[in-house]
Amino acid sequence: MEKLTVSAAPHIHSGASTNRIMLDVIIALLPVSIASVVIFGMKALVIIAACVITAVVSEFLFDKIVGKKCTIGDLSAVVTGLLLALNLSTAVPVWQCVVGTLFAIVCVKCIFGGLGHNFANPAITGRVFMLVAFSEVAGGAMPTIVELEASATPLEQLANGGVVPTLDKMLLGIHGGAIGETCIVALVLGFVYMVVRKVIRWYVPVAFIGTVFVCYLAATGGDVLFAFYEILAGGLFIGAIFMATDYVTTPITDLGKIVFAVCCGLITFIIRYFCAYPEGVSFSILIMNILSPYIEKWTANTPLGGSKL
Amino acid sequence: MNFRKKLSTLKVPHNKHTAGVHSICVDPPKEVLLPMTMHAGAPAVPVVAVGDYVRVGQLVARDEGRFSCPVHATVSGTVTAIEPYQQADGTKTTIIRIESDGKMERDPNLKAPKVETLDEFLDAVKSSGIVGLGGAAFPLYGKLDALRRNKIETVLVNGAECEPYITSDHRTMVEHSDLVVKGINVLKKYMPEAKFVISIEANKPDAIEEMKRVFADDPTVEVRELETVYPQGAKQVILYNVTGKVVKGGQRLASLGVIIINVTTLSKLAQFMEDGTPLIDRCVTVDGSAIAEPKNIVVPVGTPAKYLIEQAGGLSTEPGKVLIGGPMLGHAIGSLDEPIQKATNAILAFNKKDSKLLEPSDCIHCGRCVSVCPVFLNPTAFDRAMRLENENERADTLERESLNQCIECACCSYVCPAHRPLMETNKQAKRFVRKHYAAKKEGGK
Repeated sequence: MEKLTVSAAPHIHSGASTNRIMLDVIIALLPVSIASVVIFGMKALVIIAACVITAVVSEFLFDKIVGKKCTIGDLSAVVTGLLLALNLSTAVPVWQCVVGTLFAIVCVKCIFGGLGHNFANPAITGRVFMLVAFSEVAGGAMPTIVELEASATPLEQLANGGVVPTLDKMLLGIHGGAIGETCIVALVLGFVYMVVRKVIRWYVPVAFIGTVFVCYLAATGGDVLFAFYEILAGGLFIGAIFMATDYVTTPITDLGKIVFAVCCGLITFIIRYFCAYPEGVSFSILIMNILSPYIEKWTANTPLGGSKL
Repeated sequence: MNFRKKLSTLKVPHNKHTAGVHSICVDPPKEVLLPMTMHAGAPAVPVVAVGDYVRVGQLVARDEGRFSCPVHATVSGTVTAIEPYQQADGTKTTIIRIESDGKMERDPNLKAPKVETLDEFLDAVKSSGIVGLGGAAFPLYGKLDALRRNKIETVLVNGAECEPYITSDHRTMVEHSDLVVKGINVLKKYMPEAKFVISIEANKPDAIEEMKRVFADDPTVEVRELETVYPQGAKQVILYNVTGKVVKGGQRLASLGVIIINVTTLSKLAQFMEDGTPLIDRCVTVDGSAIAEPKNIVVPVGTPAKYLIEQAGGLSTEPGKVLIGGPMLGHAIGSLDEPIQKATNAILAFNKKDSKLLEPSDCIHCGRCVSVCPVFLNPTAFDRAMRLENENERADTLERESLNQCIECACCSYVCPAHRPLMETNKQAKRFVRKHYAAKKEGGK
């Protein structure tokens, strides 16, 4: 008889794996990726391809150079590349996409030790980096399937009192913006898929979006339609569904996740409502990423039979 | 602050293939190996010499030290060796090898103990060699010793048997309900005010029915059906789910007025009080994807795994892993000569496919371990703390995260998508903390 395997208990496993989770996120991002190409044309596909390929290749090369075990198999680089691409508009040149992705993968993720060790969401940080470095990321680009006169995003239109698209166009995403943030229907589809697959908790995006909605209701004295437009416009849905639910950079406890989401909503509202800048989702998530370890500490569970310390 | 009131549990595949099959008795093996550490507590000390002839039930090793427990011959025959031995979990011990003469001749001195007072009862239980058969193998007399100090209001008879595959407690309840009744009657004498709650998972309807039938006329006994979830049978979990009580760190269960006793342990106690038979045999579930005919087999303690597998139709395929105990908490053994011990409830053999090892990767902070932990711990925090360079910092962090409240149920390892061996890390962490503080105490003197 051959040698028996001796290993530590348990000897059975749920079957969950990191790359299966990442694959689920990619599957959840497929509807909105397809929608982005339909709405914004082939340029969207070029941006997605540029970001995903750059993400995977740069992580592969980084692992090679520093002599780490190759980690591209966990698919997290694909997720980062895809998420970043979906947060960019077609006005962004391809070389900027490549630089932004390089920054996200190398400077935010790999240098800190790879997946699980990054303090902030690489895609969000990459986007914010591009905002600062190249200024035009989300706005300016127009859908190719419609001819709109204005070149502003609905958020800019809302802020400047311009003409906003009709509600059905808002839901289908036929208006200006980043390629993956506009199609609410496709984003919600991805949300439902991830909740069903138990990849994310339903209450995180709901708390985030709900907070922004309630804040606008309060600020506008109960203007439901305006508050509705505010949550549909900009990167709120994609941020709340795909970025505020990132495992690595959000609190681990159930209560912590809710605190995180509500704070994200508050900061988003504050930036959008009080500041000149129309888009606050990226900054709110980035700020909360940094506070995440503290929230986790404050919301730690009390062990059964132990005392809270 | 805890977000949930209910304790987290897992749905694991039951795989209780042997639940409906009557257990079988087989001829004794050619040889038994009796380790001196089949119980939690100080090792027993051999009282026989190589070449001695021993009969079934005869004392071969006496208890010596704190929570030690005597060992009895489980077959009749000749002592062939008393030698050092390394167990499946890596610990070193001494074993007594007895070559069976096949006669199973019973020691004529064995008779029902005559007990009147609590002291006499506890002394008798001590001599029986009975340990907790649910897995912890804590000597029964040590547990019942609480009767001297605490008023016991509830005796929780644990028949949850939440580990997949294992059905030996299940079969005890179905096949030996008379012994369960007798066991409870024995205990009643020493705790007249106690209520007995027989707690069984819902996936054993025949056991629940049988227990309800035999205790139909006994108002002090309640049969409680529990949800079929893992780790329902763990002390903290079953205590909370049945009584709503919680044992605090460093507190004894009995101080809450509760004793938890495994149902098979109770039946062994009944057997001992009836005719003086010490703990010498037990029902073992033999199952797994590499076993030809899974079944429950009653064998002498010390029977090698190989013999049990032969009695279950042998191996149907080349095994990758063989376990002593269940798939969640059992030990993988490196050799089929490994004997079953007092608290061994299963031998499981898995084919190559089911034995594949999972490669661990970095924690992705997904929180699955936190949300499944029945006792509200943060397993990944222990994992992280164990990587701290500074030993003082490491020990303090582990303590602060209430490491010692970990019940070692393996739920965290089971769900971890990064395949990190979280429970194993916790066990190592506990050993590290013990050693660290012991060394500090030593250094402080």
